[in-house]
Amino acid sequence: MSTRRTLLTSALALGAMHLFPRLGAAQARLLVFATFTGSWEEAHKDVLVPAFRKATGADMVLDPMLSVDQIAKVKASLSNPPIDVMLHDPGPALVAIDQGLVEPYPVAESKHYADLITEAQVPTGPAPFFQVVGLTYNPDRVKTPPTSWADLWKPEYKGRVGITNLNSTLGTGFLVEIARMHGGSETNVDAGFQAIKDLKPNIAAVAANPGQLATLYQQGQVEIGPGNFNAIQILKARGVPVEFVSPKEGAIAFKTTIHIVKNSPNKELAFKLIEAALSPEVQAKLMGSPYLIVPTNSKVKMTGEVAKVLASSVEDLKKKFVFQDWTAINKQRASWIERFNREIA
Amino acid sequence: MATRSIAAYELKLAAPLAGFFVLFFIAPLLILFYVSMQSDTGTSLAQYARFLLDPFSLGVLGRTLWLGVEVTMLCLLLGFPLAWAYVRGPRWLQPVLILVVLLPLLTSVVVRTFACIVILGRQGIVNSALVSLGLIDTPLRLLYTEGGVIVALAQVQMPLMVLPLITALSRIDPNMDDASAALGAGAWRGFWRITVPLSLPGIIAGCMLTYAAAITAFITQSLVGGGQMLFMPMYIYQQATALQNWPFAAAISIVFLATVLAVVSVFNALGRLSRAHA
Repeated sequence: MSTRRTLLTSALALGAMHLFPRLGAAQARLLVFATFTGSWEEAHKDVLVPAFRKATGADMVLDPMLSVDQIAKVKASLSNPPIDVMLHDPGPALVAIDQGLVEPYPVAESKHYADLITEAQVPTGPAPFFQVVGLTYNPDRVKTPPTSWADLWKPEYKGRVGITNLNSTLGTGFLVEIARMHGGSETNVDAGFQAIKDLKPNIAAVAANPGQLATLYQQGQVEIGPGNFNAIQILKARGVPVEFVSPKEGAIAFKTTIHIVKNSPNKELAFKLIEAALSPEVQAKLMGSPYLIVPTNSKVKMTGEVAKVLASSVEDLKKKFVFQDWTAINKQRASWIERFNREIA
Repeated sequence: MATRSIAAYELKLAAPLAGFFVLFFIAPLLILFYVSMQSDTGTSLAQYARFLLDPFSLGVLGRTLWLGVEVTMLCLLLGFPLAWAYVRGPRWLQPVLILVVLLPLLTSVVVRTFACIVILGRQGIVNSALVSLGLIDTPLRLLYTEGGVIVALAQVQMPLMVLPLITALSRIDPNMDDASAALGAGAWRGFWRITVPLSLPGIIAGCMLTYAAAITAFITQSLVGGGQMLFMPMYIYQQATALQNWPFAAAISIVFLATVLAVVSVFNALGRLSRAHA
């Protein structure tokens, strides 16, 4: 009887060890970097991870997810976070900083921080790249390329426009931009909501996130709409007919920041990963085809498609692009999301 | 020596499962309830009041429950003949049909949902067929509509309806049909008076499973419904992650859970009634 009981106990213990591998030893796990899904995941897998391995000899894990999901996961387990390095759009970055989820970046020890353009030098977490939102369209179906945000309201695009809801930076940035176009601002988007209501007959789909919006071009579900320059690059590389154009009002640019998570057990490696992401070598490679990620290190010279479609230099970028005030936007964003639920959905 | 109660022994065997449930179901549920009681002013029922007094939120709940009804009806309508064909059809047909019924269960919901997107899209199979037949000029809007969500959910949840129906129908003695026919009942009358009442336990079990699965199907609802249609699972996700409002998200979850439990107990009561009837 006792042997049977012993057997059962050990079986249970073994089972528990199998279910919770960290039960036996609470020691180091691999560095976990929560990048974004889609183009960024692919770019980071191909360029950043190998650079990190070469620099440190250590291995790491990419766990791609949306910014909001990163925050939820870290917040749920703040004393022992499952993620070491977070990547955030401006809105979620402010939330993460506000809630005390990030470690200040060790600026003094950094080799590349001083080389970043001033906008990218953020002590809570520097920006390794910019994102750009403009108009995307299917050139097979939309013969005259659009030139302005206002083109989306043209009757000829009835049932062909795709947008996202306000859960994403893309959706919120678009709302603010069209509010501005109609006399509003970051603090007053009433005109933007009215414009989206007027857009309803043209809307073919309100995608749940920017990744889904990009794939809708592939399925022919939508043919024109606001789009992220990088989100469409993978599709374009695979031969999907989709093009990007900066509207004459100026495309929306925002920085993406990278953060060491508070209480991370891998702080040293996290720092090294971020250093790799800021280095001119990695940024230059990421700017190349098919990733076309806009660099922030002033030592990287803009070339190729990025220079052709977006800006020839960082100064040019600052001149041509619209930067929104996310501190102001974030104050009201939650109520806008609620309002979108009520008025648009 | 007193006879050992069989029931007592069985309870002991269920202890590991009970422990599992306490750890992974009851405990999280209590935490969820605790979170839902938090508000700016301390512990209170404010989050519940906010949900229950808000016509918009109640509308989302109502739409979600109604969606479940529509999906369940469609599954029953399509599933009953399928189960009937399996039970009464020729013997060689049975393995084919059971494969057809089970095949969806062997594929991931995400894959099946994407298949629906390919079929229902603007340039999907349905629309291209209709356009090339000359029946329509411009593609119909099927995706991102409530109709699309219902069809996709019905496809995804169909096995949950068909399997209990097959079990119930195969328990009915085929002689019953002959007896009712011999007593002068027509095919329809025999069906309504004999087959349907006798298969009621299966119908109720199937409806309950389909209903519960349909209203909580986050993936299919959000992929086929898009960002414009808001059902309870997406509402909870949005409050919890996009808005970081955990207390409200927890309160919505508890309200949703209570509503689903209420619906399930109605089905259970119907099930007891039908067994008494049969």
